[in-house]
Amino acid sequence: MAHAADAAHADHHDHLPSFWRRWFYSTNHKDIGTLYMIFGFTAGIVGGLLSIGMRLELQEPGLQFFSNPQAFNVFVTGHGLIMVFFMVMPTLIGGFGNWFIPLMIGAPDMAFPRMNNISFWLTVSAFALMLCSLFVEGAPGSLGFGGGWTVYPPLSTVGHPGPALDFGIFALHLAGAASILGAINFITTILNMRAPGMTLHKMPLFAWSMLVTAFLLLLSLPVLAGAITMLLTDRNFGTTFFDPSGGGDPVLYQHLFWFFGHPEVYIMILPAFGIVSHIISTFSKKPIFGYLGMAYAMVAIGVVGFVVWAHHMYTVGLSLQTQAYFVFATMVIAVPTGVKIFSWIATMWGGSIRFTAAMQWAVGFVFLFTVGGVTGVVLANAPVDRYMHDTYYVVAHFHYVLSLGAVFVIFAGMYYWFPKITGYVMPEWIGKLHFWVAFIGSNILFFPMHFLGLSGMPRRYADYPDAFAGWNMVSSIGAYIFFAGLFIFMFGVVYAFIRKEKAAANPWGEGATTLEWTLSSPPPYHQFETLPRVIDTHH
Amino acid sequence: MAENPHIQRKMHRTAFACVGIVVGMVGLAYASVPLYDLFCKVTGFGGIPVAVDSNGSQVMDRTISVRFDSNVAPGLNWRFSPETPEVKVKLGETTTVLYKVTNKGDKPSTGIATYNVQPDLAGTYFSKLECFCFTEQTLQPGETLESAVVFYVDPRLAEDRDVKDLSSITLSYTYFPSKGGKPVAEVTSSTTPIAQ
Amino acid sequence: MAQAGRRYSHARAFPDAFMALGHHIFRSFGTPMRIETGRRSVTALSTAAVALVLGISEAWAAAGQPSPWETGMQEMVTELGQNVSDFHTYLTWLMAAICLFVLALLLVIVARFNESKNPVPSKTTHNTLLEVAWTIVPVLILVVIAIPSFRLLREQLVPPQADLVVKVTGYSWYWGYEYPADQGGGFKFDSNMVTEDSARKPDQPRLLGADNAMVVPVGKVVRVQVTSADVMHSFTVPSFYFKVDAIPGRLNEVWFKAEKEGVYYGQCSELCGNGHPYMPIEVRVVSEQQYAAWLAEAKQRYASTDDSPAPTKFATAQ
Repeated sequence: MAHAADAAHADHHDHLPSFWRRWFYSTNHKDIGTLYMIFGFTAGIVGGLLSIGMRLELQEPGLQFFSNPQAFNVFVTGHGLIMVFFMVMPTLIGGFGNWFIPLMIGAPDMAFPRMNNISFWLTVSAFALMLCSLFVEGAPGSLGFGGGWTVYPPLSTVGHPGPALDFGIFALHLAGAASILGAINFITTILNMRAPGMTLHKMPLFAWSMLVTAFLLLLSLPVLAGAITMLLTDRNFGTTFFDPSGGGDPVLYQHLFWFFGHPEVYIMILPAFGIVSHIISTFSKKPIFGYLGMAYAMVAIGVVGFVVWAHHMYTVGLSLQTQAYFVFATMVIAVPTGVKIFSWIATMWGGSIRFTAAMQWAVGFVFLFTVGGVTGVVLANAPVDRYMHDTYYVVAHFHYVLSLGAVFVIFAGMYYWFPKITGYVMPEWIGKLHFWVAFIGSNILFFPMHFLGLSGMPRRYADYPDAFAGWNMVSSIGAYIFFAGLFIFMFGVVYAFIRKEKAAANPWGEGATTLEWTLSSPPPYHQFETLPRVIDTHH
Repeated sequence: MAENPHIQRKMHRTAFACVGIVVGMVGLAYASVPLYDLFCKVTGFGGIPVAVDSNGSQVMDRTISVRFDSNVAPGLNWRFSPETPEVKVKLGETTTVLYKVTNKGDKPSTGIATYNVQPDLAGTYFSKLECFCFTEQTLQPGETLESAVVFYVDPRLAEDRDVKDLSSITLSYTYFPSKGGKPVAEVTSSTTPIAQ
Repeated sequence: MAQAGRRYSHARAFPDAFMALGHHIFRSFGTPMRIETGRRSVTALSTAAVALVLGISEAWAAAGQPSPWETGMQEMVTELGQNVSDFHTYLTWLMAAICLFVLALLLVIVARFNESKNPVPSKTTHNTLLEVAWTIVPVLILVVIAIPSFRLLREQLVPPQADLVVKVTGYSWYWGYEYPADQGGGFKFDSNMVTEDSARKPDQPRLLGADNAMVVPVGKVVRVQVTSADVMHSFTVPSFYFKVDAIPGRLNEVWFKAEKEGVYYGQCSELCGNGHPYMPIEVRVVSEQQYAAWLAEAKQRYASTDDSPAPTKFATAQ
């Protein structure tokens, strides 16, 4: 180990690959994970700035910052696509997944290291294409695609004849291909490369969550790829898949999109479930409560997630039976989700909890995810959803589960694994301060959106009737607070690198039982040259 | 990992299975287009009338009104209307209604019609024997064409607890200009810019 | 469309929007921002704040439009809407109870199971009874939600016999209304947003008032048939509760029975491009006599526009 630790610290020197080879031709899962995190953070800043632009505009009624609503719509669309495909997915799956799946299951690396490298650079290329699309013509006479992240035709066909959306579609193709390759890599790694003795039922929950996520990716992304390819040929080659003038049906696109889109939200949140489980167990100094229930709840969420898609389409004119079925199926998801929430609480119950920064983020997540979850149950009911559909209530709901859900866990994971990844200790007060700023900011930002939605404010509006002014102002102030919190995080990272306080192999003590804490911090460049043998587990 | 050929083989098998899933799902996405179409036509899902060859049902005493709606998409200078906005029919009774379409422009133009039935729930029971849909129609300037819709409302409607009290069904047609396989970008190139 | 574009956009294109954005951000440090509607919104804000402090925000709550600092649904004027509103209130209490329960558990955990209070963690990892309970109880909660939910769904989607049919067509970016001849109408007209402040009637809020409103009689079942001529739009009036997508090549249908005279507003609720925020829906519910008078007048005013093709504001294939 000592030798390995040295090696890790000698990164930028002798016997490791040169800087260029190490970071650009990288096949090492930890380096690729780091690249994904840096990439995800950068994309997150871009996406965040777009949302700040939106909040500046919405702070007061009337148009102040944008010359026309179309430009605002371009920001909305960019924000959505970037946050989903280039921030949350790369960070949770590419970043934490690449870093910790091999470490947690006792594997030396991912199954296909070179494919891993291809995945990363495809994602970067996709992001480049996405940015290009902002600067080419979309709707006549304006730049960028402003049809929302759902890209519904006919707005995405006759409404945006310019090439902006073609760039966007290619970006999604590349990002999708990258994710599919990544998913194949994770499945192969998790199914074949676990350390001797680690059966599936002894596997850490994060590995379980990534396994389910990878299958969701594998099953849902090809459908998105198919749908947007049909859109591409409708736009450019005269096919009429979604064009009624050739017998096509725009509603079919929505079915296909949401067949992908609903599993996609679980793709974003399941890895977060895995990470939170580890953080809560570590700092409660207790094993996870109801391990098997936790694992199979994720499987259940994944499976049911594929048969609920049309709850996004209650207003398109679905028949009574169809709507009734989707109401029923959607509400079923609340059951495994409830199992997870209560199992986390039971894990903490009776524990000897150390409220570190990571733990505060995790506990904050459990509560805020509950809030987002129950509004999901409200929205599942078609009779009520018809009122809320396409209003800010929906915006509030999905930001509670994604921004206050997935993003909170990204930060929880960052503070939890920071010593393991960098080998340095970040002072706890930084993460805690960041947590409280983000907690307050994000609630001020998103909670009033419930009120706006209930009083009828539609989504994707650059300008709104004056009655909505009050809560919009509050919401904008929250956005600035939330965004300011990011600077605390950036400061923390820089500060830790300047301070250079070395982290122990396991800084969190007896509660941290997964394999990565048995390695030095940071782990050696190549770990587990002799495979660890899992003889006994905590379950 | 590469050392152990057994694991290597297993890994390749897993990876190929995954690739198989991906290819299968792409295939399914494309298959969904004809399947969805077929599904709608067979079951009346989404308010698509069921196409049948003949009317083998008994005529019942209960009547229901059938409204006829017509639309012409922008870009097609046609007048399109049913000869009557509404008829009252007995359940099971075969009825013929004429739609009249006229080219008001000074150039020949080609259109294609789509249709659906409201409420959706009635789609299952609205059976059409003959109609003018999804076939391209070219009209010379000033030319008028009469197209017939032959249909009956399936008497089983009276047994469906969701729609048994239904008083009215609407059949809606929309004529779109035929794009003749031209891509959207070309067809819409004449669009006026948003900001001048 | 050319008109619509000119009306709502200034002479700048998107790259300028970027620059304008940067420009404004810089200017907003130190100097007051130039905001077109600043005065109006500040007034609205302060009035609303006063209303909130005095607890009279209900005084603002005119039916048919949003009111400042509103925290619930708009006042419902249909029975369906009232039922949905009640159901939502019930759901909200149920959901709030669940959130408070989780919050209470978390607070107990923070208070009792921290390192200093409880230095030795328990080792419990299973409790079958508990695990069964937290599966069964949510199922039961969902059942008590699902039963009224399905009942409401049926109420909404099984239409009663209609007294009046109105056809609505979504265009980019305005609405077209058609009163069929056999329904006492035989005319159609377009409904655009009133853009000039001076042209708005006193009861028309900014962005909500339309030049030609849809008029319906009170207490009658109105069936609204909705379609679109270009991209998708969504036709909604929150106070009547309904929302239905306008989809080209497809006719959709909803019904409502307004039980109170008044003016009710809605806004397009499916992203449709540049004019998306600028295509309001204004519905005036009037007495039967007034409706008859309006019909007679409308027949003159919108005299047979039957022959003119739908104006192509949003140019598709020409």
